[in-house]
Amino acid sequence: MILLLAAASFLLPLWLSSANLTVYILLGLYAVTAIGLSLLMGLAGQVSLGQAVFFAIGAYTAAVLSLHGLSTVVALVLAPLLAAAVAAVVGVPILRLRGHHLAFATLAFQLIVLSVITNTPFLGGGLGFTAVPGLGIGKATLSSSLGYAWLTWGLTVVVMVVTLNLIRSRPGRALRALATSEAAAESVGVPVVRYKLAVFALSAAYAGVAGGIYVFFIGYASPGSFPVELSVELVVMVVIFGLGSVWGALFGAAGISVLMQVLNQVGTLHGMPQYMPTLLSYAAYGLILVVIVMFLPAGVLPGLRRLWARRPGGREDPMSRQIAPPIASLRSLLRSTRPKTTRADGTPSPEQTRRQ
Amino acid sequence: MSPEDVTRGPAARPPATESPVGPSGVVPLLRTEDLARSFGGVFAVAEVSMSVARGEMRGVIGANGAGKSTLFNLISGHLTPNRGTISYGGKRIEHLAPHERARLRISIVFQTARLFAGMTVLENVMMGAHVWSRHGFFEAALRLPRHRKEEREIRSKAEEALERVGMTPWAATEAESLPLGQQRSLQVARVLCSKPALLLLDEPASGLRAEEKESLAGLLEQLKAEGLTMMLIEHDVGFVSGLADTVTVLDLGRVIAEGPPDEVTQDPAVIAAYIGEGRGRAQRH
Ligand SMILES: Nc1ncnc2c1ncn2[C@@H]1O[C@H](COP(=O)(O)OP(=O)(O)OP(=O)(O)O)[C@@H](O)[C@H]1O
Ligand SMILES: [Mg+2]
Repeated sequence: MILLLAAASFLLPLWLSSANLTVYILLGLYAVTAIGLSLLMGLAGQVSLGQAVFFAIGAYTAAVLSLHGLSTVVALVLAPLLAAAVAAVVGVPILRLRGHHLAFATLAFQLIVLSVITNTPFLGGGLGFTAVPGLGIGKATLSSSLGYAWLTWGLTVVVMVVTLNLIRSRPGRALRALATSEAAAESVGVPVVRYKLAVFALSAAYAGVAGGIYVFFIGYASPGSFPVELSVELVVMVVIFGLGSVWGALFGAAGISVLMQVLNQVGTLHGMPQYMPTLLSYAAYGLILVVIVMFLPAGVLPGLRRLWARRPGGREDPMSRQIAPPIASLRSLLRSTRPKTTRADGTPSPEQTRRQ
Repeated sequence: MSPEDVTRGPAARPPATESPVGPSGVVPLLRTEDLARSFGGVFAVAEVSMSVARGEMRGVIGANGAGKSTLFNLISGHLTPNRGTISYGGKRIEHLAPHERARLRISIVFQTARLFAGMTVLENVMMGAHVWSRHGFFEAALRLPRHRKEEREIRSKAEEALERVGMTPWAATEAESLPLGQQRSLQVARVLCSKPALLLLDEPASGLRAEEKESLAGLLEQLKAEGLTMMLIEHDVGFVSGLADTVTVLDLGRVIAEGPPDEVTQDPAVIAAYIGEGRGRAQRH
């Protein structure tokens, strides 16, 4: 399966037009980031609504270092390391939080970082950097999109293999265990705090290396390149085909990228108002997220399978009724932002009673 | 009698190191000294000083709310004491986090099953191996030799543990979908897989059917014969008496009696506490 993917991702770019090649490269970079987020949210049960911040940190690390004369290859190696280091540091206070508190904290962290960048001239301020050099060693630079496509998808395949290995191992099981019960995980000897930090740092490293390649490929970085919208997009990619699955994250990234491309084309059709593409993409994220979180918490495919199993005479797998902790916290997030917190039957929701 | 002797505790009860089992003069595996823990000002455990010798099977009995589970949680590190010390193998452990104590091979079966949802029975048991395996993220991600070797070991130990509790046929079942009795057996398998040095069992027999109870007793006998040190909380006095070398009786957080099962169960104070127990149970149901 992985070999098939590797072969396909190597051959596919040879046929793509240059515009599609760009989409293809970005898709790979989002896939890498989404796989990291899937590891964090799906496996370890920790929600991040600010994952794009690590993509940004990777991009800025690569841009700043290479603009100051450091070799681009070295800069690209340092990008994930710095992203991971930042995650390991902010993770210490943030990962004490659970559920939607954690979601808000990660979101807030992204907003803080973006505003720091905007207000720091050394980091290019609000306008950002242009003319970031291309990736290369000495005079040999990666100038064609094809080269970036191979680099990106080579990375994607490596990240997938590494992540699948991790999931099926002692640390992977420990992450799954702490996602269901931290106390029980501790009782079997899992250092919960350290493991949460490690998986947070790892997911940040994935985002960081993707961000590094991104900035060398695009040649430009500004705070506007890494909006909160990108974090939301990553969450949508991760949840749409089922949390915690590496392949789900890959196909989620592909599906959402293609969908956004289509919406963008529809939105820029002749006669459409100028705000149409943005409107459509926001509407799509919102709709997908709400439908998944509220109605198909296990993702589209498992959700449909479950509906099928519920047909008369069908056998429902008790497991499928389970709602993963991150989805549950997104659910409470959606509920807590709902203006009127009354259930359909007129009784106050738990949130409301708690507030009284 | 020197003043030091007086402070060591009521003279009526002999120091627990001279318990009938376990050679005297040898450092006990576990020793608590004046252990106390309160919840909202009420002491759930108070002035508990006891020691458990290596290889001993210690029964812990007492009425509902006597503080038995609290005592176990203090030993396993899930609760921190307000006062007192806990020594294990001669080292103080009361400041250690639960996962650090687990690494010292103190394994606990909780009163209420704490399974890992979304994992199979076998994977749940494999979690027990976390304490004695070492490979981390890096080795796992790259499938380095130690990862491969340990994964094989973990799997075979887990299968062995499942076999011992007779749950091999359910290895691939989702742990949560098991009936309560089997969830308990699964927890026992998980702690067996952790190669424990001190095993804390909090009412492992409750909710089990008669034949399940019997096979559990058989398993505990075997473990005892293998030299494992255990502490067993159980309401069924007959069940404990049949297994334990020594029984400690708690009432309102304090030790009210300690000794061989047949002596302790004749103790008037214990009988009185158990009449209270009967009342407590009647009110509950
Ligand atoms: N986390 C807690 N918060 C508040 N009170 C607690 C807590 N845990 C235990 N208690 C109280 O401490 C006392 C002792 O509880 P504990 O669970 O140790 O009793 P037990 O001997 O295990 O009882 P049982 O036989 O019912 O399991 C009880 O009065 C209980 O209500
Ligand atoms: Mg109890």
